[in-house]
Amino acid sequence: MSNERSRPAPAALLAVVGSLLGLAFGAVSTTDFAAHLDRKVHGVTCSFVPGLISSEGGANACATALYSPYSSLFRRSIWGGVPIAVFALGAFAFFLGMGVWLWRANVSGIPRSVRVAYGALGLTPALVSIMMFTISMSKLGAVCKVCSGIYIASILVAVSAALVLKGALEEASSGPPLVLAGGVLAVILGTASAAPALVYAASVPDFGPFVGGCGKLEKTEEKHNALIKLPTSQPTKKALMFVDPLCPTCKAFHEQLTSEGIFDRLEPTVSLFPLDGSCNWMIDAERPVHPGACVVARAVICGEASQESRQVLEWAYEHQPELTAAGKVSPAAVKQIIAARFPKEAACVDDPKTDRRLTQMLQFAVENHIRVSTPQFYLDGQRLCDEDSDLGLSYALRRLAPEVLP
Amino acid sequence: MKNPMMIGLATGAATLTLMLGIVVTKVKAAETRLKEPDKAQEAVAVADHAEEAYCTPAFKQVLQRVLNACGLVGQESRRGCQPGDVKTFASIDDDDFNALFTPLVKRGGIVMFDEGKEDIDDGARRLVEQKWNERKGARYFFIVARASTTGSVDKNRSLSHRRANSVQYFLKEKTNDPDLDSQVGMLWLGSEFAQLGKDYCETWENSRNGQKCDTETVNRSAFVSWVDCRL
Repeated sequence: MSNERSRPAPAALLAVVGSLLGLAFGAVSTTDFAAHLDRKVHGVTCSFVPGLISSEGGANACATALYSPYSSLFRRSIWGGVPIAVFALGAFAFFLGMGVWLWRANVSGIPRSVRVAYGALGLTPALVSIMMFTISMSKLGAVCKVCSGIYIASILVAVSAALVLKGALEEASSGPPLVLAGGVLAVILGTASAAPALVYAASVPDFGPFVGGCGKLEKTEEKHNALIKLPTSQPTKKALMFVDPLCPTCKAFHEQLTSEGIFDRLEPTVSLFPLDGSCNWMIDAERPVHPGACVVARAVICGEASQESRQVLEWAYEHQPELTAAGKVSPAAVKQIIAARFPKEAACVDDPKTDRRLTQMLQFAVENHIRVSTPQFYLDGQRLCDEDSDLGLSYALRRLAPEVLP
Repeated sequence: MKNPMMIGLATGAATLTLMLGIVVTKVKAAETRLKEPDKAQEAVAVADHAEEAYCTPAFKQVLQRVLNACGLVGQESRRGCQPGDVKTFASIDDDDFNALFTPLVKRGGIVMFDEGKEDIDDGARRLVEQKWNERKGARYFFIVARASTTGSVDKNRSLSHRRANSVQYFLKEKTNDPDLDSQVGMLWLGSEFAQLGKDYCETWENSRNGQKCDTETVNRSAFVSWVDCRL
């Protein structure tokens, strides 16, 4: 008997191991997310060994997932929202308790109706994981390792649940009614899952005073009409963006605005600000941040003649890796890629008028004393803080311009 | 505690409590950091005009005086400075004054005029337009007009003034730039201050490349250039 107790049943073992794994990865994910509540840039853990590897600046699949709109709920009312991972903490705490119970009761010692209820509820983490995995693949095009850790943990718990359910279904009914057992367990699971989320939401500081506190444009109009107005379907609010077509953050910001339906509710004007010293004197020509960005910026300007500036800009965002690689070779290599897709625009890239217009945009940035970084986003002249341009976007826009939120 | 259910419940409750503790600790730690100033953000550069190596303190001092005295800064209604002004405010001799502009050899150009004339020809138009369009990060565009020693001092003073104005009018007409008045600084030196030497014929781009160029002709001119200095 003592031997049987010391050796847990496979279902119990799977539940315990799965839950511990889920707790570990959930805690890592929650910790990474909560770290961003200080409105600073942080590395995002992306490893199967929690906490082992951290990427500064966040250029990994876990950062993509974390900054995506799918990483949290209630973003409009809570800065950054409540991370999905925090719900996992409570859920896996519940399943750990269940696993220990299964272990100590050797599974069969638990009333059948409770086991059936566990068997059903144990599948829920896997169902949520399948949903999140589908979103990762279809919307983000990447799966982060920390998320995968939670998916694996969910599968282990689901296998445990399936084993328990199979055994229970082979037995005759016993114990409390299934509805009662299922109801009680569901309430405990729901309460356990919600508790960390509620505590998180209650602990988050008030970010209201920070929103809109990042200054205003000194000059809202560019006297030479050098800026580019992009077409949108439902323009409701004037917005000005300083962007670099080869800047990954600009791309991510643009994608966030479009995927959340915000971009098409803006009346956007673009002032190009390539972080490339070949046209931007504020950047060291020997050490351009985004080599080739000047050529792409000129192509965006050239796109205006055929009302294709938005298409050129979005195409540049889409082909950033290819254009960036070409930019490291030579401006001509960048131009060649552009010419293959936009021959008319490529032809006007070297026109002195195009260069003058780009200079006027850069001078406009000087007149406004903007920071040498991209993207920068202004709504009716009021600057959206960089810290509010990803996790806090919905929260900030709800306060600055609720009409742009769909 | 031997009841398996109670052991499981206690394990779950203890784990949940631990997780709640982690959540609160992490959020509160972020809140503490939130109140600290962000040094990384404070260090970010702000967009500004270009500042090239030739912007020495002496050069900037002269430029600043030109801007202050010649109507680009403040509410002064006058535009431009004449030789007497330059001598007074620049406190600098002829050679040193010309030497200040030497580093602009790749940036600037010399617009040549016919003797006793202020009309700008096609070559001059092309050069002025080309130099104007090569602005990049510069804040101020300078027109420094001269006259050769042929003729009286008064006549040359007036002639160099008209030459500076010719270039400015052309720019106004050509560019229709609303900011032009706040960007263009004019000096007219007549024939009495900072005459150019023949070496300027060889070293500087001029509007009559390939034509006769000597000490007389090179001073029937207006020097034009953007200046990449923060003032």
